[in-house]
Amino acid sequence: MSTVSSQSKKLRRYSLMERRNFPWIYAFLFPTLLLFAVFYVEPILQTFLTSFAKFNGYTTAEWSFDIHNLGGTIFRNYTKLFSMSSFPPALRNLFWWSLIAMTLHVGIGTAVGFLLYQKLRGWKFVRIIFMVPNVISGAAWAMIYRFMFNDDIGVINNLLRKVNPDLHIQWFYSSPAAFWAITFTWVFYAVIVALVVLGDLMAIPASLHEACEIDGANGFQKLIHIDLPLCRNAIGTSILLSVTSRIAMYENIALTSRGGPGNDTYGLALILTKSITDFNYGLANATAMLMFVFGIATMQIINKVFRMDDSVY
Amino acid sequence: MKKFLKSVSLFLILALLLSCVSFASADGVIEVTLPTYKTGENVGAIFFEPLVERFNAAYEGKYHITLEELTQDMYSDKIKQLGAANALPFLVEGGDSEWIKQVVIPNDMFVDLSGLIADNNLMDILIDSQVAYNTTEDGKVFSICVPVTRPMGLYYNGAMIDLGDKTCADLSWDEFAALLGENKIAFMTGENAWTTQLVLGSLIAVEEGGAELLSTHTIDKLMDYNQPCIINAVAKLQKLMQDYGTSNQVGAVYADAANAFMSKNAAVIANGSWMVGDFLEDGGKWSNGFDGATVRGDVLPGNVALANNDGYQYWIPASVSAEQQEVGKAFILFTLQPENLEAYMLAEGGVAPKLTPSEEYVAAASENKLLYEYVNAVNADTIIVPNAGDIMTSSIGNTEFGNLLPLLISGQLTPEAFCQQLTALAQETALD
Repeated sequence: MSTVSSQSKKLRRYSLMERRNFPWIYAFLFPTLLLFAVFYVEPILQTFLTSFAKFNGYTTAEWSFDIHNLGGTIFRNYTKLFSMSSFPPALRNLFWWSLIAMTLHVGIGTAVGFLLYQKLRGWKFVRIIFMVPNVISGAAWAMIYRFMFNDDIGVINNLLRKVNPDLHIQWFYSSPAAFWAITFTWVFYAVIVALVVLGDLMAIPASLHEACEIDGANGFQKLIHIDLPLCRNAIGTSILLSVTSRIAMYENIALTSRGGPGNDTYGLALILTKSITDFNYGLANATAMLMFVFGIATMQIINKVFRMDDSVY
Repeated sequence: MKKFLKSVSLFLILALLLSCVSFASADGVIEVTLPTYKTGENVGAIFFEPLVERFNAAYEGKYHITLEELTQDMYSDKIKQLGAANALPFLVEGGDSEWIKQVVIPNDMFVDLSGLIADNNLMDILIDSQVAYNTTEDGKVFSICVPVTRPMGLYYNGAMIDLGDKTCADLSWDEFAALLGENKIAFMTGENAWTTQLVLGSLIAVEEGGAELLSTHTIDKLMDYNQPCIINAVAKLQKLMQDYGTSNQVGAVYADAANAFMSKNAAVIANGSWMVGDFLEDGGKWSNGFDGATVRGDVLPGNVALANNDGYQYWIPASVSAEQQEVGKAFILFTLQPENLEAYMLAEGGVAPKLTPSEEYVAAASENKLLYEYVNAVNADTIIVPNAGDIMTSSIGNTEFGNLLPLLISGQLTPEAFCQQLTALAQETALD
């Protein structure tokens, strides 16, 4: 059947009316293509090309190539990136933050989504309350958390000192506390996950639940065998969004620990901005390409694992 | 409805276009926006905001400057971003010296100010060495600095510390620390760890070869911190921070350090003369019985004062319009007027070597006893060298130094390891 279908596609001839519309179709497509080329393709291409160059961001980029010294010429920025002392901690942090995002962060959001779906008394109010932190920028949250985690005046340590009066934790400035303090600045704010999951739950046909009930399924069985599988795409999308946010995470670190103590809480985005600060744009763009590759890889893996291209129904 | 939407769209497009450019208004006033950190609570605002107001009043109907507020530690980065986007303002105050040296000057991204100097006989007031520093190999002048030198020292609370008949010029850091007793020093590790950088600078300056090292690396930044004078200074800094640092020093930003001093949680803070304004009256910053009248100004122990006259200040980007350049030049000339230089010295301290002070200035200066004391603490034997931050690359000075300090304080890093890490970090992101 598929062979016949592809042959019929090949043989398809456009009518005169359709052919007359071609110029208009291309004319209307042109602005979109232009915007795509200027704002997507060109920056990515430029980032890719200059990631192999010696480039300070202002003067002309310089490429050099020596087959006997690839690491010192064309791959100079990548060699430098991989040998930076902040690179291993940045990768390690990305791994753990991604894992926490996939499990705890998405888990909390999904649980809230399911709770909201039950439409218990006051669910709309809870939805709004859960939404509030999301309308506050990451930068503002980071500042709030700096005060919350302050050793002298912070609410966290003052509460903990009720139990242990001698306790002093410099949350953002000692390890491993800094890693967890940064994690707390985002892990509980999962309203996007909750709303995406809630959207999929709302779309489940009532007839499916009715059929389950007729078959004698209890609430838990409905959750496991109907609701969760039908939210597969929503959960996959949420994991994708959460992990890519970790790859690009900047404000939460830069405005709190700034990658410290030492380089214990470094992230790739921080390496990128640090390179720009030292106007080594070649190195910054190599970091950006690595982030880009991680993002694409995450998307492919999540698509595969959650079979995002397949219909859930 | 369609007509309404069309009108709104046209209005928004027009507003967007107008917001992107400075423009001459219908009455011929050239209006420009100046991004600056010297606003609001910043100590530099005490002089700078009134200066801009006076400029706007003096040139009413001709020029008008509107200030755009930035935080101090973001200023250099913001200027670099604007530079990369070819959207620099009409006037820039300094910026990242490495960026200026390697990008702005080689690419002629500035207006040559040599003509402005010659046409207005500015050499009669400008400091020769500063002009020489700002003159390129082909004779262009990149920027004009306010001709006031301001060696930096420290302030201590005279109600908490008694130095007897001695001054900091007579004491080493060890001797000074011994007099502190239970009192603390307002260190910081956040932002660029400014107050800590000053103390480190004074500690390096008294080490053998330290003063020379500080003086020779303001242009070509230091890439190797594994040097005995720095390691020794870091070891002393570690002990000072461990023994005399305030409880909030880890993570403290400038506001925290200043607050510690003005709430009597610290008895000492290293800072420049511009902080004097904070001690003249209680602008809501004093607490816990702090009284600005008890504050004393002095050089840093070891008879060290920190000043880097080799720097960049007001420059005009070549990318701005002729009208904007006109405003920039007018503002620079206005700043250099004797009455404005005197206002600057009264507000922030310092000395203008070529300026003959007016009687009003002398009378006003003698009224501000603290500023007088602070400025005159420098004597013929004082070691005047650039600050430690002046020899660091941008990322080291702004971030990495402060990031490593908590590890130094906790003892997780030895002074040697601290310097090794600084060296590695300085070399990591540097352009080959």
